Amino acid sequence: MVPKRARNLVLFLGSLIFYAWGEPVYVVLMLFSTLSDYIHGLLIARYRGKRAATCFLVSSVVINLGLLGFFKYSGLNLPLPIGISFYTFQTMSYTIDVYRGEVKAQRNILDFGVFVTMFPQLIAGPIVKYKSVAEELRTRHASLEDMAAGANRFVIGLGKKVLLANNIGRLFVEAAGMAEGNLSLLTAWLGILAYAFQIYFDFSGYSDMAIGLGRIMGFHFPENFHYPYMAVSVTDFWRRWHMSLSSWFREYVYIPLGGNRKGLGRQLVNIVIVWSLTGIWHGAGWNFLLWGMWFALFLTLEKIIFGKKSVSLPKPAGWIYTMMVVLISWCFFSLEEMDKIILFLKTMFGIGGAGIANQEAWYMLSNYAVLLVVLAIGALPLGKKAVEWVKVRCSEDTKAGPALSVCLGIAEKLFLVAVLLLSIANIVDASYNPFLYFRF
Amino acid sequence: MKKINAVITLLLLGGILFGLAFVDICTPDRLFSEYENRILASKPDFSLEKLFDGSYAEAYETYVTDQFVERDKWIFVKTMTDVLLGKKEINGVYLAKDGTLIEKHAPEDIKAEVTAQRLALLQRLVEWQEERNAGTLHIMLVPTADNIWKDKLPDYASYYEQQKLLEELQEMAGSHVIDVTDSLQAHREEYIYYKTDHHWTTRGAYYGYLLWAEAAGVTPVSYSVQTIATDFLGTLHSKTNLTVKPDTMEAYLPAVLRKTQGSSASAGGGMQVYYDFSEESRDSLYEEKYLETKNKYGYFLDDNHPFIRIETGIQSPDAEGKKLFVIKDSYANCFIPFLTEHYETIYVLDLRYYRAPLFSLLEEYDTEGDMDILVLYNVIHFIEEFQYY
Repeated sequence: MVPKRARNLVLFLGSLIFYAWGEPVYVVLMLFSTLSDYIHGLLIARYRGKRAATCFLVSSVVINLGLLGFFKYSGLNLPLPIGISFYTFQTMSYTIDVYRGEVKAQRNILDFGVFVTMFPQLIAGPIVKYKSVAEELRTRHASLEDMAAGANRFVIGLGKKVLLANNIGRLFVEAAGMAEGNLSLLTAWLGILAYAFQIYFDFSGYSDMAIGLGRIMGFHFPENFHYPYMAVSVTDFWRRWHMSLSSWFREYVYIPLGGNRKGLGRQLVNIVIVWSLTGIWHGAGWNFLLWGMWFALFLTLEKIIFGKKSVSLPKPAGWIYTMMVVLISWCFFSLEEMDKIILFLKTMFGIGGAGIANQEAWYMLSNYAVLLVVLAIGALPLGKKAVEWVKVRCSEDTKAGPALSVCLGIAEKLFLVAVLLLSIANIVDASYNPFLYFRF
Repeated sequence: MKKINAVITLLLLGGILFGLAFVDICTPDRLFSEYENRILASKPDFSLEKLFDGSYAEAYETYVTDQFVERDKWIFVKTMTDVLLGKKEINGVYLAKDGTLIEKHAPEDIKAEVTAQRLALLQRLVEWQEERNAGTLHIMLVPTADNIWKDKLPDYASYYEQQKLLEELQEMAGSHVIDVTDSLQAHREEYIYYKTDHHWTTRGAYYGYLLWAEAAGVTPVSYSVQTIATDFLGTLHSKTNLTVKPDTMEAYLPAVLRKTQGSSASAGGGMQVYYDFSEESRDSLYEEKYLETKNKYGYFLDDNHPFIRIETGIQSPDAEGKKLFVIKDSYANCFIPFLTEHYETIYVLDLRYYRAPLFSLLEEYDTEGDMDILVLYNVIHFIEEFQYY
């Protein structure tokens, strides 16, 4: 709808307004970051191969990490600028890749500005590396199919966030708020399971919305999640969870440190370094560090045990082991306070607490059972598999096939419309606030 | 084929979003939501200061959702999906088995030190009474529906067990206590609580009245029951927003009519009700105007007032010169009409709205030194609200 030349200007201004709506002051910070890395990119390119280039790279990384560190870890209790963890990582990928000669420095400040401030993924990722969108920053084309697929993806993401994540989040809050004497084994597991679903549908929902919006405008952002709760090992889990972050750390930290090329010992050290950083990236609390180390433990164990040999656990056993590791990790991640984490872990393994299940636990289960089933279906690719199965049948069956595929098309659209309408209903309802002054 | 598919998807989703936005812009703002009983947010005033501290954006979002087109219907859709998902409670209200709505009082929300504090306050009143050694003091704490209609609650639903508190009360103030639990239990199959509201019905209050009469040593009056509304959707309906069968509201009017000068005989004739020290009096305990609103329970004693003086106009030797001071919550609003045949003057104090030094107030009104006192709360309001200086 917008002439090609003006596209980036419109997108840039739109993104700034979008960001300023939520962060009217820190928008200046983002502009500063944009300008700083734009200049650094040009300088690095100009002095390529000389010492100065390295200096400018270091300066760029120091400024980015400095910003991130100041707001996230300085302990000054400043409100965290929205998306700072994401955009600083994105701009670092740019200056590093320019230094490595993998991409050309961007001369057009508008195009670069679009890369940094682009609104769909600014808030919660995926972390888009500059090189993966460099081409599309200049020219991109969104066909009708792209736009439809993008809109489709956006609605699915919205539904994941608003219908699934927000609603199961209440179960986690109820379980986490349970008094110590009332927390049973079943409650603790329900609570952590609820959190596992909440964070997955929340985060992957945001990613879907970002990817979908990007697609509508002709961008192809990297995928961020691939059915992580299907993973059969912890290594596998991290190939499926927050893929853009793990790939960032692999490319800019793990491999530069030597990756697996300098012997097993060094590789294990590298894994520990990367996972400490991954943990800290999620937040300033020590619990996030613990969370990262917890994964480092199993990732190194898997390297040691299964590393060279192509042995692995049988799939069901691998899945159960992985889910245990992941669910326990969410205790560190979500509960934050030491006392609470220990209480939950103990209760989950039958030490102390209010027995295996009490009245409160059964009540929670009866209240959320249906939703949990829906979530399980959504987290495992059951729906997707079913649709694919029907599609294959359609193409095989020459007689009923065409009719069936029309029906499927209609069903898919009805589903989308229902998700959209229900999401709107949930958003409106979130502000439902009957004022019961006649309560008494 | 693929193209057509894409166009249909875009038209559908785009149509919904832009269509809603368009209708939303064209719909005039509403000032008040009868449904939610509150004033809805209006368009915020713009200022640079508000923009920079982020409060403008926040206010604007509230404005958009508050004024969203057909807001009530969207909320209804969301509630229905909760019901379909098998939710057993919505906004702190249990969806009981037979369609009754019952307010949830979670045991973990009620702290032992708070109940102890409230009982200690009551203890002071009992001591004050025993020192006074004239008139009577009666304490009636009414259990709420979740405790009487336990078997209607969803499976495994928890509730605060009120019996323990009532036993403690019994121990502390024995002879002053009127315990209505057994009577309500015995009549539990009857319509003693509203099904869409957290109050007891007038019938429930009537059973309370019978016990009060016994304790006070008076003969209960006989009543004729009048249905005053059949479309009462109370506070629990507001909280859940479900389509439920409305409640019926009744008033119990004395069967024996009073004759007053210059007018024909009527139930409660000659009554003068003074709200909040007003010079003007109303001639009835009932306010018809509330029957036209959502808050129909306000029909009794004009909703909630900090202080009411009722000159009952009763002419009977038994009631002559008798005064009663009621310290109460809203459960008393449909109960007090039962008392008007037994006292000449009734003072009604709602401590939640009138923070007065209680004892000096009592002494001020107890001019003859023989005023009766009644404390009437439901157990939950007593725990949450009973407070004086």
